[in-house]
Formats: sequence, C-alpha cells, structure tokens
Amino acid sequence: MPVFKTPFNGYSVKFSPFYESRLAVGTAQNFGILGNGRVHILDLPPTPSSPFVEVASFDTADGVYDVAWSESHDSLLVAALADGSLKIYDLSLPPTSNPIRSLQEHSREVQSVDYNPVRRDSFVSSSWDDSIKLWTLDRPASIRSFQEHAYCVYAAVWNPRHADVFASASGDCTLRVWDVREPGSTMVVAAHEFEILSCDWNKYDDCVIATASVDKSVRVWDIRTYRTPLAVLNGHGYAARKVKFSPHNRSFLVSCSYDMTVCAWDYMVEDARIGQYGHHTEFAVGLDMSVLVEGLIASTGWDELVYVWQYGTDPRAP
Amino acid sequence: MEIAINRQRVLLEHLRPSSSSSFVYGTDSSSSSSPPISASACAAGDSAAYHRTSVFGDDVVIVAAYRTPICKAKRGGFKDTHADDLLAPVLKAVIEKSNVNPSEVGDIVVGTVLAPGSQRATECRMAAFYAGFPETVPIRTVNRQCSSGLQAVADVAAAIRAGFYDIGIGAGLESMTSSPLAWEGSVNPKVKIFEQAQSCLLPMGITSENVAHRFGVTRQEQDQAAVESHQRAAAAIASGKFKDEIIPVPTKIVDPKTGDEKPVTISIDDGVRPNARFSDLAKLKPVFKKDGSTTAGNSSQVSDGAGAVLLMKRSIAVQKGLPILGVFRTFAAVGVDPAIMGVGPAAAIPAAVKAAGLELDDIDLFEINEAFASQFVYCRNKLELDPEKVNVNGGAIALGHPLGATGARCVATLLHEMKRRGKDCRFGVISMCIGSGMGAAAVFERGDAVDDLCNARVVQSNGLLSKDAR
Repeated sequence: MPVFKTPFNGYSVKFSPFYESRLAVGTAQNFGILGNGRVHILDLPPTPSSPFVEVASFDTADGVYDVAWSESHDSLLVAALADGSLKIYDLSLPPTSNPIRSLQEHSREVQSVDYNPVRRDSFVSSSWDDSIKLWTLDRPASIRSFQEHAYCVYAAVWNPRHADVFASASGDCTLRVWDVREPGSTMVVAAHEFEILSCDWNKYDDCVIATASVDKSVRVWDIRTYRTPLAVLNGHGYAARKVKFSPHNRSFLVSCSYDMTVCAWDYMVEDARIGQYGHHTEFAVGLDMSVLVEGLIASTGWDELVYVWQYGTDPRAP
Repeated sequence: MEIAINRQRVLLEHLRPSSSSSFVYGTDSSSSSSPPISASACAAGDSAAYHRTSVFGDDVVIVAAYRTPICKAKRGGFKDTHADDLLAPVLKAVIEKSNVNPSEVGDIVVGTVLAPGSQRATECRMAAFYAGFPETVPIRTVNRQCSSGLQAVADVAAAIRAGFYDIGIGAGLESMTSSPLAWEGSVNPKVKIFEQAQSCLLPMGITSENVAHRFGVTRQEQDQAAVESHQRAAAAIASGKFKDEIIPVPTKIVDPKTGDEKPVTISIDDGVRPNARFSDLAKLKPVFKKDGSTTAGNSSQVSDGAGAVLLMKRSIAVQKGLPILGVFRTFAAVGVDPAIMGVGPAAAIPAAVKAAGLELDDIDLFEINEAFASQFVYCRNKLELDPEKVNVNGGAIALGHPLGATGARCVATLLHEMKRRGKDCRFGVISMCIGSGMGAAAVFERGDAVDDLCNARVVQSNGLLSKDAR
C-alpha cells in the first residue's frame, strides 16, 4: 500500500463512510504546538504501487486535531481545530468557497469530533475547555453544551445503536456516558487512575466500551457492570492515544500510542495482543478502521506519514 | 506563546510515567522509577529535525561580501592611498555585483577605529559619493575597536530586523598608514585607583604576554600558529581562493626616493610570506617584554584595507532573485579582563552560539582573528576547536589586521569559504578579541543550503493538488 507524506505532523485520519478508497487526514504544524494546520482528502490508488491521489486540501489557521466525515452527505466533513473552532467543508464546492461554516464556541483546543451514525444529523465535539458540545449542520450555534468534566475532554463518541447516547473520555480520569435527553451524565466510570485519552464503543454490543489511558493500558468495560473492566490490555510502552473497535469483528480492536506503535487486540482471548506495528517513527496519534473494507486500517503520526494497510500485512510493504 | 506553552504542558502530561508498568502482564507493579519527562531546549543545529527554510522571510541575509586586498601599512600597496579611496571600491562593488539600486540602501554603517571620529565620518560620506550613492543614502561610523567591522554588520542586521529599513551595508575601513595608534592628551590620574581601568591603557602586546604567561601558551606554539597562518594564506592565494572576495583597487604608488607617482591596481594581499619558516620565526626577539614570547612574527600585521557586506531581508532578496550567501543568525559582545583582552573570543563564541540555539559542535567553520598567536592559540584550545576548522585560509598574522576592516574582511572570507565547501558546511562563526577587554562573535548560516529553491521565485502555494497528482 502506498504511503502519503503530509507537510505537517499527522493528528487524525478517518475513512469515508461512503467511498471505500477515500480518507481524510488532519495535520498540524510543529507537532500541533504552534502554527497552521491542513486537512487532506486522499484517494487510495487503484493499484497498490501508484501513489495516493490528493483530491483536495484545506489550509487552516491553527492545527487540525481531528476530522469526521458526515454520515449523511458524502462530500461533507467536519474538522476540529486547535483554536477552538469547528470547520465544515464541502468537497463538491471549490476550495475558495470552503469552509462552508465555521463554528466558534469552544474557548480552547477541540480534540475530537464525531458524527452521529444513527440519526446522521448531528455531531459532538470535545474540547480542552472541559466541555462537550452538540451541533447540527443547519444551526449556526451549538444545541447543547455538556459541562461536567473537570479537565480536558479528549474524546466524545456516539453509541453505534442509540441515537441519543454518547460517551466521553477526559483527563480528569473519568469516562462519562451521556444521553442528550437527560440533563446530566447518566454514568460516571472512574476507568483509569491516569488521564483517559480516548474511548470507543463496540459495534456489536452496545454496552461495551474501550478506553485508552496515560497509564499505558487499554481497558474494555461493560457499562452495566462497570466496577471492574472486562479486560485490561497491557503492552504499550507509553500512553495509549487512540482506541478503535472493528466494524466487522465483535472482539477486535486497535490502538495507537505515544510509544510509536499501533497494536491490534482481541479482548476475548487470553493473549489479547494479536498484532503490533512499529511502522511509525514518531508518536502514532491518528487511527481508523474502514467500515466498507474488512480489516483495512489507516494510521498517521507526528512522523508526517499516513499509512493504510490490510490487517495481517506489513504497513510498509509496497 | 502562552497557548503553545499550555499545549506543550497538556501533551507532556500524556507522557508522564505512570505507576502501572505495562510490560508486566496482570500485575500493576509500582516499581517504575524513571525520571519525569520534561521539555528540552529546542536544538537548531544539524541534529534538529527541521531546517530553516525560505518561509522565514524576515531572516536577515547576506547577498554580497567583498573586501580590498589587505596591504602592509606604510610599506604596502596602499601606502599612498587615501582611506576614502579604499572604502569606495568595496561600497561600489556590493552594489554593482548585486545590481541593487543604490538609492534603495537604507543605511551604510562603517566600522573604523584609529582615525579621528568626525573626520573619518566625513571621509566615509565622501567615499559613498565616489562609489555612486545618491545623497539620500545616509552613512555613519561605529567604533568597537578591533570588532568594529563585525559590529557594523551586526548593527545593520539589527536595524533590518527592527524594521528601520530593508537593505543596508555593513562595512569596515582602516588605513593604519595614515592614522597610527596614539593617545592624544593626558590620562586622567584617577585610573590609578581603578585597576581594571588602568589595564585598559596597557599596550596590546603586553596583554598578549599576559595571556601567554597566565595560561601557559609557549613560544613554540605561538610560532607554530604563525607559520600555519602564513602557509594557509599562501595556499589560499596560490589556489585563487581569494579571487571571489577581493575587489582590485586602482590607486597610485609614490616612489619615496624620486617622488614619482605610478598608477597601479592592487589585487593581492601583500603581507603573506609563503616561505615563513619556524626556524626563522624562532630567531625573532620578543618586542614587548625581555623574556616574553610575543614577537613581530607571531603578532598580527599593521595593515590597510576595507570590506563591505550587503545585507537585506530574505523576502527582498528572493524578490530580487539574488543568491543568498549566508544568513545572519546571532551576534554577541562580551566583556573580559582588560589585562588579558585576548581571551575575548573564548567568552564571546559560546555566547553567540548558544543564542543561535546551537552547540559548538554544530559549527563547521571559524574565523577567529589572530591579533596575537598567544591569544588565538589559547582561545582555540580553550574551546577545544578542531584546528582544521579554524582560519582555514590564514588569519591576521599572515594577512594583516586593519582594525576596523577586519570584521567585514572575515565575513567575506568566511562566507565565500562556506560557499565553496558546500552543504556540509552549514554554520560559521566569526570572532575577535577587542582592545580594552571584550570579545565579539557572530554566527552565520549557509544561504543556499537552507533551501535549494529559495532564490528561484516566490511560489504561490496551490492548495488544490499535491505534487503527486500534478
């Protein structure tokens, strides 16, 4: 599979839910500390030996920490920016008329954005200003702000079955589950003793959720019995930065870490770690699994490279 | 900046070592005792991951640096040349060779030491007219003794960085033929109370003896350094290395016996003795102290010369399509004990290098002024510099030390040598000691190594397509 070199440090990569060969990459200059950002829209080439095709790219005034494709329109995507804004881009329009919207409400860096996969009309963003905000495309302001976390909220992810439920992972060491119809969070899980950097729902069991933490572990929880985790996945040498459940296998998940590796896990078996990829040469920060192609994984990191590979093969193989 | 610090803090928290060691399956051991991670100072040197590129449009760059030949005072090629006639050719050269319109120059700063201040300032103004500058271009002089030429370049760089103007010339001029070292009037008797003030009055040769004595620099080491200086300078002349930087000066020579004037064009340095031998130098008597080690052979020569350096903002240079010879990175002047003023470079070089975010190891080439072999050898050893990187084309012992011009001369020599050496030679340092107890140093970076295409044209970035797709 080809490798794409981004000019800035990679922060996020997401497969399009509409086209199996398309992905979006969010990048930030100077490791996201200071400088500009860029969103790249890439198409996988028809043959593995040819390079990626860059369909479009959008420059931003601050680093892009996350991107999310719209679940309702194949040309729409949302970018989460370090300056606290969310930008909505429409690929069917020329670059000069993009972004079509800029939503500025968060007072600090927005680290994650996730599009509702069930109702397909709204998305949530989570920010270092300790809040989570709910948005829809047709409104210029957020519908609701969820303000309970005591430190940066690093991730907010919709439940794949329930249109109103999402979970959030925060640096205050808690995982919270929310229902947008309820005034406050419906559940607080003290999932780790250190900051929680990411979480993701199991796509087959709507009660199972995975968390990734600075304590280097990935834990899998059943929210009905959240006193102890279902599984503790050890193996990363530094904080696990992102975790993602497979859309095609109920017990398969992948995680990436500050130890520069990407790990694949089966949380139901004893030796849970079933794969480790050391293809990145800097922190591995962005990770996604394709909904349309089984076993297709994409990763990006501060080494400014985007890899796409089939599970079981070497990401670096041409 | 506060945002960047905050972001860095949040990210560093992610890396803090936690008690649950991940490599021990099933057990949460609390034995992890690795030291906490902290951010280290950003390195800018060869080890740095990111090189400066042409996007740094506000860099101060050098696009031209030229000098006259350096000739022996009173006996050499410029013994009958007016000081302003030395300066005019180099001022003219930097403008003509770079095709810059002289009226665009924002200021000319000339480092000059011995001549009476106001008279020399007027001479410089006259020289600017000889060189073809319009009346609108201002000029001034600066005097930081032996580093005046470098100070002039640094002053221009600072003014460009401050936004006073975009294009400036830093120059140096000295005619030691016409203005000898002398003290006018009487000395304030108060100096007797202040030991360091009194040390300022020491002849330079005595300070050299002090350095040699205090730091144990032997006569052999000094003579060896002198021989090496002559050999390197002679080799550089023989291989035509100085041709790139020297501007031939048309002038006249008066025969001292007959008084006949003869027009000549001076184009080579005349102080270099290619056949300087260790055994000959060893025979010379110490000049300043009976049992001393500083001789006429291992001290810098008394000379005439001038140099000029054209500086501008990088964005202007790119606009004009001018080749970038070097980038002016940092400058530092540091005070030292006047009685051993020669140790100046040993104090100033680390200061300037540190200010540039570099380590001494990152520096690939040095021009350290050889005021005296004693202080030169001391500074080289003190900083543990590789002799193969220092004064590769000889120094002031062979070429001469026209006080005010030396700094500008070194810039021309250093940058042209860096250009010849190619990309491996990325950083260069110029330094000299300063009479009355100071040292000055400046760090330069290669121009074209920074970005191969920086001089081609400004590319308006096209965000639509990557290079691969085009």
